[in-house]
Amino acid sequence: MKTIINKPIAETYGWLHAGGTAVDLPEEPAREVFSLAPGETKTVVRTDADLYVRYEAELPEGASLHFIEIKSADGPEKTHADIRAVCGKDAHFRWTRLLFDGQATYDNCSAELAGEGSSFTADIGYRLSSDHIYDVNCEAVHTGKRTGSRILSSGVLADEADKLLRGTIDFKSGCAGAVGNESEEVLLLSENIRNRSVPVILCDEEDVVGNHGASIGRPDENLLYYMESRGLRADEAVELLAAAKLAAVVNRIPDEKIREEIREKYL
Amino acid sequence: MSGEKTYVEDVNREFYDFRYEEHAGYKVASGLTEEIIRQISAEKKDPDWMLEFRLKSLEVFNRLKMPLWGPSIEGLNMDNIVTYVRPDTERMHASWDEVPADIKDTFERLGIPKSERESLAGVGAQYDSELVYHNVKKEVAEQGVVYTDIESALRGPYGEVIREHFMKLVPPEDHKFAALHGAVWSGGSFVYVPPGVSVEIPLQSYFRLNAPGAGQFEHTLIIVDEGADLHFIEGCSAPKYNVANLHAGCVELFVGKYAKLRYSTIENWSKNMYNLNTKRARVEEGGKIEWVSGSFGSHVSYLYPMSILAGEGAQCEFTGVTFAGAGQNLDTGCKIVHSAPKTTSHVNTRSISKSGGISTFRSAVVVGAKAAGSKSAVSCESLILDKESRSDTIPAMDVRTNLADVGHEAKIGRISDEAVYYLMSRGLSEEDAKALIVSGFAENVSRELPLEYAVEMNNLIRIEMKGAIG
Repeated sequence: MKTIINKPIAETYGWLHAGGTAVDLPEEPAREVFSLAPGETKTVVRTDADLYVRYEAELPEGASLHFIEIKSADGPEKTHADIRAVCGKDAHFRWTRLLFDGQATYDNCSAELAGEGSSFTADIGYRLSSDHIYDVNCEAVHTGKRTGSRILSSGVLADEADKLLRGTIDFKSGCAGAVGNESEEVLLLSENIRNRSVPVILCDEEDVVGNHGASIGRPDENLLYYMESRGLRADEAVELLAAAKLAAVVNRIPDEKIREEIREKYL
Repeated sequence: MSGEKTYVEDVNREFYDFRYEEHAGYKVASGLTEEIIRQISAEKKDPDWMLEFRLKSLEVFNRLKMPLWGPSIEGLNMDNIVTYVRPDTERMHASWDEVPADIKDTFERLGIPKSERESLAGVGAQYDSELVYHNVKKEVAEQGVVYTDIESALRGPYGEVIREHFMKLVPPEDHKFAALHGAVWSGGSFVYVPPGVSVEIPLQSYFRLNAPGAGQFEHTLIIVDEGADLHFIEGCSAPKYNVANLHAGCVELFVGKYAKLRYSTIENWSKNMYNLNTKRARVEEGGKIEWVSGSFGSHVSYLYPMSILAGEGAQCEFTGVTFAGAGQNLDTGCKIVHSAPKTTSHVNTRSISKSGGISTFRSAVVVGAKAAGSKSAVSCESLILDKESRSDTIPAMDVRTNLADVGHEAKIGRISDEAVYYLMSRGLSEEDAKALIVSGFAENVSRELPLEYAVEMNNLIRIEMKGAIG
């Protein structure tokens, strides 16, 4: 089945030609549903999932789910994860995505912040090489009052890697007091990469604050100069900066045990 | 501080809303057919290649689909639009005294002759489909600067230059309304600035659409040759009718090596206008294009001036403000293509939405594989003044080399309570405090305009912001 991933949102971009990619997928996704009791806190880690998986979570009042998804360099060639979360009052959904390469990865993560005071954090870290592709759509839909969202992304592109990130903060009418922040850092290591970023803020409510910042480019020359002056070779300095991008995402994982495991295994 | 809100009035458009009975010298039937295109071409005494170009564009228009993105243009029915209306004057004039009284009065009320005397190097005034007045100061003409209506240029010594450049930057295949423009274009200006010539004071074209249910399709072609410098100002307005009017103009700007062009627009079409305008600049080595854009009018706008940075070290600066009030859906922004090394672009925009107005900032920055050493910075801020309004920000970046630095920042929100509180503590009323903040918010544009225009723009904002506390 040819599916255009993230089609509904892709149409918004019109002439920007940054819509989703048509991908061959099985008719039906594998499904996994996370059920939490009110006030419950849970962390789930999934590594190298199947080609097409839909993860669903409906979080009741005060529940907090941290979903960590990891793709290792020798994971499956092509994967598409479709993550849908709906947050009740004061619920929190956190999605940490770590991509240690992989031929073709298509992600969609959509969080509806329906309950008052609910929040969503997306923390995406990736490192791509060769001609590998990462196409990700992440959206925070604010419908409840005083809801908060953060979409953070930090990555490294080398060789002929191609990445497309569409991050959308959608403030629906009635989400008074909502705050959304989006930030992106991309380190470019080769002349032949392609990086596309479409950070969208849609706003149908007066009483909100939305911010976005992006910084895309090669390693900072002054920083490299400093590192070299401290005795590092140029390639070592670049490698250190690249490793820091993913390490920053890992460092933000609140659970110390999981954090350490990931560090040991992947960094 | 009181939690009450400032009620902000709609734009007071009375200044622009006067109109005269339409008594056209000639107009075609509404709609778009080959016969109409041939009539326009005959009326304009086109050379053969232009008639052919128009007919080809009509084919493209019929083939291309309406855009499936952006604001709705369902209210625009091409079958009802009159594509050519020649005002009741036989020819273009070089003296105000010869311009027919009602047309002259229109432009006088808009302050055009006054501006010409006081602050401009030349003026072109278009009424419906034709230019009715064109004049350039003697000292500017003596520098070799050509500023004329595009049709006389087409038939005169610049015919070949026009043929070489006409719709080469914006081909009819670009989109449906570019094709429409290619088929029915009429009026507009041609400017040529010779190498090394710096035009000290700006040139201006003013477009006025008086006829109801009509379209205006002027073509502006500007060539600024090597090392030359020009500031060109475009103004537009129309009275409000209860039928849809259409503006599908086209602006093509060629900025030569080490040349500089500043293109400023204060757009204040009436709120029944569909403004589907296309603007594009190509900048050669070391050249610079500066866009200054104020969008206040129109019912619906699709407006994204595009800059192609084709030569090494070419630069683009885009400064814009969009103010969407009741019944307006303004989709504005810009597109920049870095296709040569060491090119730079800087985008700084503000949008304000009020009384149910919708403003969308849409941009694209493309840094190609050949653009090593290029830099781009985009900053857009949006302000929403009430619950009924909407503001979207849709920027895109496409980077295909690692030897580039691309930055982007966007901010969306309402007027800061702290700022209002601070100003009120210094003795300002809430109304004045908010008006001051909004004027300051749009200051990025007003400070780039010549003084007279900055004052006009600030007045427009102040008129809007002077509401009663409700």
